[in-house]
Amino acid sequence: MEQSVTRREWLGTLVKALATLLAFVYGIPALIMLIVPAFRRQKTPWVKVGNVHQFPAGEPKAVTLSYQRRDGWVIRTVRSTVYVVTKPDGSLRVLSNICTHASCAVRWERGRKAFFCPCHAGYFDAEGKVLGGPPPRPLAEFPHKVEGGLLYVRLESV
Amino acid sequence: MRKLLDWFERETGLISAWGWFWTQPLPAGVGWWHIFGALTLLVLVVLFVTGGALMFYYSPTPDQAYASVQYIEHYLPAGQFIRALHYWAARLIVPLIVIHIVRVFLWGAYKRPRQMIWVTGVLLLLTVIGYGLTGYALPWDQKAYWGTVVRLKIAEGIPLIGEAVATFLRGGDTVGAVTLMRFFVLHVFVLSVITFLLVAWHVLQVRRMGVTPPGVPVSHEEGIEKPQRLYPEHTARIAVGAVILSALMIWLSLRFPAPLEPRANPMDTAYKPHPDFYVLWLHELVDFFPPHLEFFGSFVLPTLLVFLLLLVPFIERNPERQARKRLTALTTGTLILLVLVALNVKGMRALPEPERLSPIEKQGQRLFVELKCYSCHGINGGGGPVGPDLGLGGKRDPEQVRQLLRNPSAHNVHSIMPAYHLSPEKENALVAYIVSIGPNSKMPPIPPTEPEKPASHFEENWFANHKFEVRKDPASCADCHKTFFCQACHQNRRPSSHDAQWLKFHFGNAAERPEMCAACHSPDYCESCHKVMRHDTQWLQQHGSKLAQFGEKMKWAGQTMHQMCYQCHTPQSCQGCHTGALPSSHKVSDFLRDPQVGHGKVARKQGTASCNSCHQPQFCQTCHGLPMPHPQGWESDHPQVGHKNPALCQRCHNFQEETCQTCHQAPPSSHTEDFRKEHPRRITDSGASCQVCHGRNACMNCHKVPMPHPKGWGEAHAKLGQRRGWKGYAGVKKLQQTQCATCHDIKYCNQCHQP
Repeated sequence: MEQSVTRREWLGTLVKALATLLAFVYGIPALIMLIVPAFRRQKTPWVKVGNVHQFPAGEPKAVTLSYQRRDGWVIRTVRSTVYVVTKPDGSLRVLSNICTHASCAVRWERGRKAFFCPCHAGYFDAEGKVLGGPPPRPLAEFPHKVEGGLLYVRLESV
Repeated sequence: MRKLLDWFERETGLISAWGWFWTQPLPAGVGWWHIFGALTLLVLVVLFVTGGALMFYYSPTPDQAYASVQYIEHYLPAGQFIRALHYWAARLIVPLIVIHIVRVFLWGAYKRPRQMIWVTGVLLLLTVIGYGLTGYALPWDQKAYWGTVVRLKIAEGIPLIGEAVATFLRGGDTVGAVTLMRFFVLHVFVLSVITFLLVAWHVLQVRRMGVTPPGVPVSHEEGIEKPQRLYPEHTARIAVGAVILSALMIWLSLRFPAPLEPRANPMDTAYKPHPDFYVLWLHELVDFFPPHLEFFGSFVLPTLLVFLLLLVPFIERNPERQARKRLTALTTGTLILLVLVALNVKGMRALPEPERLSPIEKQGQRLFVELKCYSCHGINGGGGPVGPDLGLGGKRDPEQVRQLLRNPSAHNVHSIMPAYHLSPEKENALVAYIVSIGPNSKMPPIPPTEPEKPASHFEENWFANHKFEVRKDPASCADCHKTFFCQACHQNRRPSSHDAQWLKFHFGNAAERPEMCAACHSPDYCESCHKVMRHDTQWLQQHGSKLAQFGEKMKWAGQTMHQMCYQCHTPQSCQGCHTGALPSSHKVSDFLRDPQVGHGKVARKQGTASCNSCHQPQFCQTCHGLPMPHPQGWESDHPQVGHKNPALCQRCHNFQEETCQTCHQAPPSSHTEDFRKEHPRRITDSGASCQVCHGRNACMNCHKVPMPHPKGWGEAHAKLGQRRGWKGYAGVKKLQQTQCATCHDIKYCNQCHQP
């Protein structure tokens, strides 16, 4: 009887061990599949804006960009507009066209030499700084790089 | 903790029920053969776990299903493994159930009082088959789509109910979005609920009635010794079996990932779905009957089999469980199983042999993938919809294939296939592979492209409709495709907009939407034509002098400068400006007629090329009535024109003065020796042509009377005589000498007048 109990105990341990093993073998890959992708950060790609020569110093120029964005298994084409501002010394800035107040689209007004937001009459200068109206912050600037005469911009989610 | 458990036990009684379940006493003969039911349950749990994980990422719509499965396969960590596990568990559960059923049958374990355990078991088998049929469609690849189409077609063949059942499952006339959603809900919800209930019933009944003691007749079960318990003795066996089975499943999953064929393409009729090996017996059964009785094989016999299986405990009422005492039942069961196995073996033999490729053909197959031949050509399905499917069309001649690769348009002028000039070694390999492709060949696996094709590229007729997408936003194509991508096809077939008139009208498009051109053409493409003359802001002022300057000197493609303008501009486009603002040459006082600076002089001096820059060649004809300047061979042709309408010549030429004489010092060829006599008959145009040289009064000058004699001449000539005072015979004589005698003899008068 004593021996039989030991054998049963041993078998019980074996069963529990194997059951735990199987639970891990099947459970962990399934959990990895569910958990890991959720914490992946999608790299924002460099989007081609155009040749640098297209942006002479002076007036900010609006460019509509179209690029592909992965949303899980769906790939959508996203379009967004940016303003390329070239200073006389040739340095570039790429500004968002979204007003920092209520997210309306701003446009460059030649006469006023300012970005104008039609929603609540916000004004920004060519650098994106607030000139007047309700906007709390200057226009967002996107990081850019110039490679081989081509201007690229990385559109971070605003 | 203990308090909490006590409270839980008090409230639910689940903990003691749990203990009651596992301490089930088992009879002595229960051993390794009895683990297959539990293993089936384990696989079912694996299917639930993996299926649940997959469900987090699966999207049951035709436009996303395939993409989501691809996402699982390629983008998720462990995604491929989980899907493979689901695939292999689904494959393994069938043989496990078969072993379990055979074991229960051989042991006679379904006999009183356990009939309903058997019945629920058979129902569970049916739900597993249902899982298989519905799960098949979910990846929405070619196999899923066409397999589902074929199965619903077979279901339609069942008399009376078939059509209704198939239509219900399809949710309409065609396999599509509604079908996929139905299959999905059946697979993950309806069947799961049924399975859960049936498993609970099946397992709890076993617990309640105990496991059948082997070899003990029905009425002798009371008081059988039960020396072992479910836990831990039998569970240890199950656990060992489960680990072995899991090792097998995991090895299979890692070694052979679940297949995923190309995305479902309802247009691709070249695809041939092959049934999975475990349903081949059913296909053989179907084939056994003539077509109009097909439903016997597809429905009647399988239904009978299912009913037979369900009713086994009620048919075999023999209370004995030992094999030698129930020979009839065992023989019948074995026979039926053998027939099914034999049918399946027959079906497997009939399957086409998998293609065996020689090393050189394998190299060619790799080239087929590398060169992306598959993006246009399929091999028995799959591949792009552009070129013909290579699986079709019989044996190919290697030399012909070689020529076709080198110059596809020689084979067919409309072909858009790009020419491939490969090294001889590669060409030989590719040709060998293409020649080897037959009706049983399969598409080689295509590595996923990066970035992945967007859903639009899988739409029906994408190939035919891509131009509309390009027109909407050419920049979005350029995100993935290089400029020369378009030219792979379009160098042989231009876009439909580029018709015969395109060159003339392309400017508008190019000016308004330069990005459209940039979709196919490189930026310096325009230069190849336009560099000759840049149409910058100065162009308008300068074009006249430039044209004059380069005029004839500058030839482009063997054409004059003006013709080069007409590559784009219509000749009338000059008139857009020049109707009001005439060129300076036209501004002299009498450009029309002045002999020194007038248009005739200019035209003769400079040729009409400069006229044609504004005027159409027919412009001269509107006034001159003739092609001007006189075409070649005019010297010999002009008499014809002159005879018909001398007035045309007279618009410019004054014949009386010099023009005729310059040539016609000798009389024209028509004026032969006896022309004087003959001319009345030769002159057919009332003398108009005579007037060209002889003047308006040509006849009068000689004849002194109107010629030919006008109407009523009979009376008129008498009056003429009277007026001149020619009377009597002498008068006649006189008259004769002067005028009439030129033509008429005196005898002529006598015809009327009496001498």
